Amino acid sequence: MKTRFYWILVFVGPALAAMIIFLVIPIIASFVLSVTDFNVYSLTDWSQAYFIGFDNFSELLSDPLFWQALRNTVYCLVIAMPLTVIIALGIAMLINREKTYCKGLFRVVYFLPFVTNTVAIAVVWSWILNMHYGLLNWFLGLFGISGPNWLGDPTFSMPSIIMLVVWKAIGYNMILFIAGLQNIPTFLYEAAELDGATNWKKFVHITLPMLRPTMLFVTTMMIIGYLQLFEEPYMLTQGGPLNSTLSVVLYLYRQGFRFFELGYASALAVALFLIIIVITMVRMRLSKPAY
Amino acid sequence: MKKSVWIVVLCLLVTGLAISSPITLRIWAMGEEAKSLHIMAERFTQENPDIRVDIQAIPWAGAYDKLLTGIAAGQLPDIAQMGTTWMAPFGAMGAFEELSRYIDRSNVIKPERFFEGSWQTSVTSAGVMGIPWYVDVRVMYYRTDLLAAVGYEQAPQTWEELYDAGLKLTARGPQQAGLSLLFTGTFANEFMPFAWQNAGRILDEAGNVTVAEQAFVEAIEFYARLFWDEIALKAGGELINDFGSGAVPIFFSGPWMVRMIEQQIPQIAGKWSVGLLPGNKSHTSFVGGSNWVIFRASRNKEAAWKFVEFMSRSENQLEWYRIVSSLPAVMETWDEPELAEEPIMSIFGAQLLDARAAPNIPQWGQIEQAISRRVEEAIFQTKTPEAAAQDLLNDIQRVLRRQR
Repeated sequence: MKTRFYWILVFVGPALAAMIIFLVIPIIASFVLSVTDFNVYSLTDWSQAYFIGFDNFSELLSDPLFWQALRNTVYCLVIAMPLTVIIALGIAMLINREKTYCKGLFRVVYFLPFVTNTVAIAVVWSWILNMHYGLLNWFLGLFGISGPNWLGDPTFSMPSIIMLVVWKAIGYNMILFIAGLQNIPTFLYEAAELDGATNWKKFVHITLPMLRPTMLFVTTMMIIGYLQLFEEPYMLTQGGPLNSTLSVVLYLYRQGFRFFELGYASALAVALFLIIIVITMVRMRLSKPAY
Repeated sequence: MKKSVWIVVLCLLVTGLAISSPITLRIWAMGEEAKSLHIMAERFTQENPDIRVDIQAIPWAGAYDKLLTGIAAGQLPDIAQMGTTWMAPFGAMGAFEELSRYIDRSNVIKPERFFEGSWQTSVTSAGVMGIPWYVDVRVMYYRTDLLAAVGYEQAPQTWEELYDAGLKLTARGPQQAGLSLLFTGTFANEFMPFAWQNAGRILDEAGNVTVAEQAFVEAIEFYARLFWDEIALKAGGELINDFGSGAVPIFFSGPWMVRMIEQQIPQIAGKWSVGLLPGNKSHTSFVGGSNWVIFRASRNKEAAWKFVEFMSRSENQLEWYRIVSSLPAVMETWDEPELAEEPIMSIFGAQLLDARAAPNIPQWGQIEQAISRRVEEAIFQTKTPEAAAQDLLNDIQRVLRRQR
């Protein structure tokens, strides 16, 4: 028994240590910081930080920028999630067809945005979205549509960010959906065909129910991912114009690493953590197996 | 060639460490400066054979985080190059050595030898935290041919002229702007000169917030009006290209743009120039650049000070200008013919005499963000300039209240 414990420690130890140092301790630290006024003066002299209870949180609730950031983030989630699911599933089904040629090529093409560095993507997209020379407005111009000022207009800035986010997320989710589709036994479709089911009926009554576990995983990860929206607005708009693309994490970053209000930033992090947990739990509850 | 120089430097360092134990001065430098600083370091070592210099290059992009973690962990060099706007936050962390007693007994470094605006960037409430190394100052870049076409043989000198020239330039056709200004993100550096030109200020001598005063409100209104009348466009174009094509014939920026224009759009050579910022009550501009700081934890402070003195000597300031074209912070260097008689450089020299820095307080980051946010609201007309100024007043008071 004793030797077994020893071996467990040898094999699990390194991973466990890394997790404790880089995950558990920072999480605990951010909970602790969130009830202090840790700021620029405390950074080198920790005795300068004082316990202030839930002051940070009450300030958060009365901070219009926090609410704006939360609204923007939820806006992104609500639009981007269904879009990603529909497009990724659609492409996955097209690639998964027997008759599709060059499956490997298409898989790579759609997967590429996911593995490309976001910074590089953002630079290219800022060109695509440029009001005067942008590819997108040039394309719209072909149909006689005068495209908007994508990144400079508060109405269109978030949709621009969503476009980028969805485009980037499609590849990864497509791969997951392909894996899910390949797990569906073909005899189900064959049986349905014998019963004279149309393609649409097969999709609704076989594909969708059989994809339930994949769907649960994909949407849960998406909720967590989209609520932590950061890189895209950070690179493309810095939260502007008029804070229309300010996300919660971008605001957190600003408070913590630009203004060094680490106490307040930690409170933001804790609030976001709670929001993510609640929404994720609701999502899990919604998908209790019905059969 | 460069590589070999580095190898030689490295070998010198290694053998230097091995043979005797002279002092090794560790320096963190950023960006272009770091690449060429070894030239100055070699000269310094020739003068001071007992001091070796070890330069570590840090890219600007990662510099902020590197300094932050360095300060938090106590892993710091002896000296570092410090962006002027970073003096206050890092200074507040107590990382820098206060330099007054060194200055008192120095023959080289005297406050009055530096441009006032530049010197102010190194002074915080806790004392003198750094010594200016080189400066950046914003001036007006303009297309002489396009301005002449709308009746301006010389650069617009006042707000009225700027506005008038802007209207005429905008009237040239669709997508033709009068000038380029930032309207989103953090653009207090671009906005504050307008406030200062109108004698507006953020804080008065007693520390009261004064942004709701008429002078400041007028500056917000003028800045926003340039967007309302579409003299400046709310579209992030590509500045260099737009300047080359003539779509944006006026913009305000620092000295680095000179070389960019010369290299990227040589076709407009002779058709552009620089001028002082158009003024109202003054022509005040924004001064930035980099300072030298000595870290409190350094064990080689005397040697470090020697190096800072070396870099501040007028002939070395000039030498440094020759190497990387960054503007000298020492005033007398500007009397040298190669600066004073060079038409573009002499404008920078003149503008430096009327230039200010942001208030040197650690909360400037927040204040800067608040200014940008409220001016932006005035630009997009979700608030009147008066209401925006009033909200800005509340924002800044709230930021300052947090201070202990």
